[in-house]
Amino acid sequence: MEAIEHPPIFRLPGIPDHVTYTWLAMVILAVMTFVASRNLQLVPRGLQNFLEVVLEQFQSMIDDVMGHEGRRYLPLIATLGLFILTGNLMGLVPGLAGPTGNLNTTAACALVVFLAYHWIGARKQGVLAYLKHFAGPVPLPLKPLMFVIEVISHLARPLSLTLRLFGNMVGGHILLAVIFLLMGLDGLIGWALSGSVVGAVVGGIGGLVTIVFTVGFLYPLKILVAFLQAFIFVMLTMLYISGAIEEADHHPSTTSRSHV
Amino acid sequence: MRRSLILVGVAVLAFPTAALAADGGTGGWIAPFAVIAAGIGMAIAAGLCGLGQGRAVASAVDAMARQPGAAARIQTAMIIGLALIESLAIYTLVIALILLFVKGINFA
Repeated sequence: MEAIEHPPIFRLPGIPDHVTYTWLAMVILAVMTFVASRNLQLVPRGLQNFLEVVLEQFQSMIDDVMGHEGRRYLPLIATLGLFILTGNLMGLVPGLAGPTGNLNTTAACALVVFLAYHWIGARKQGVLAYLKHFAGPVPLPLKPLMFVIEVISHLARPLSLTLRLFGNMVGGHILLAVIFLLMGLDGLIGWALSGSVVGAVVGGIGGLVTIVFTVGFLYPLKILVAFLQAFIFVMLTMLYISGAIEEADHHPSTTSRSHV
Repeated sequence: MRRSLILVGVAVLAFPTAALAADGGTGGWIAPFAVIAAGIGMAIAAGLCGLGQGRAVASAVDAMARQPGAAARIQTAMIIGLALIESLAIYTLVIALILLFVKGINFA
């Protein structure tokens, strides 16, 4: 992807860009939470107020999807959500690189979710009961087939979580890079500044139109996508965890649905 | 109509081979086809993904108009469903990116 995307301005030698900017996202989140929680007050103001609103949003989402017992998993879910949101938004700042625009970062997040929900399910129900949960509510002769299908569908979950986030982010970055290439000094604006009359008219108007299009439409769309993808990642994580902790015998109809 | 389509197809298939035969390059003849396949595949995936998402959104809006009280829950379910549908197009995007950018694959 470096063929068309400009590398970020600040690079540590010998360390890949997505790792550097993962550290930056971690520093941003850690400093923000430290400053907000250093001087807690009963009536929150400023940053503390903002972060409390954010966490209450997470809590109400968890209550909607998983019920009250899901609040135990708030740290995992909110950390993933805030990190992915910060990473997505950092990808939109010129001069920075988005850590979620790299397959390694998203695969790491998805593997954490994969291991976590299996661990939670096995802890909650016991390993044997959890494995039985895979065979599903089908007659006995069909159980081995169902087991294999369920295992494959569970293995597809981290793959789809990884590729969804990665593809959305990289697709957006490539779109912006191509638009900027068409707009910039090699493209329409460069044509407008080249001195020829036709270039000044066509390139000037075209450059203006692309600037308005980028600022007015593409960037808001990308910000929406950044929030939406973080929301979807968190929502699917909650669905996976609630699917792992629900008892197989109580809801025979809901175990067969699979969110890949 | 059909004859012209066949002609266009033959031209598309013949042109990269001809260009590379003249070039005599080491890249192999399949690299130009990879670019064509990335474009066509992404177009098909985007179109069909749009059809699927359109059906989903149409049903969801219909349901929200009938039951405004349940709008929030329907919207959440719709967004999850849209993400799951969209991920199929994203798979195609990833394949297209692999075809376009990964240099390590020895196609020829």
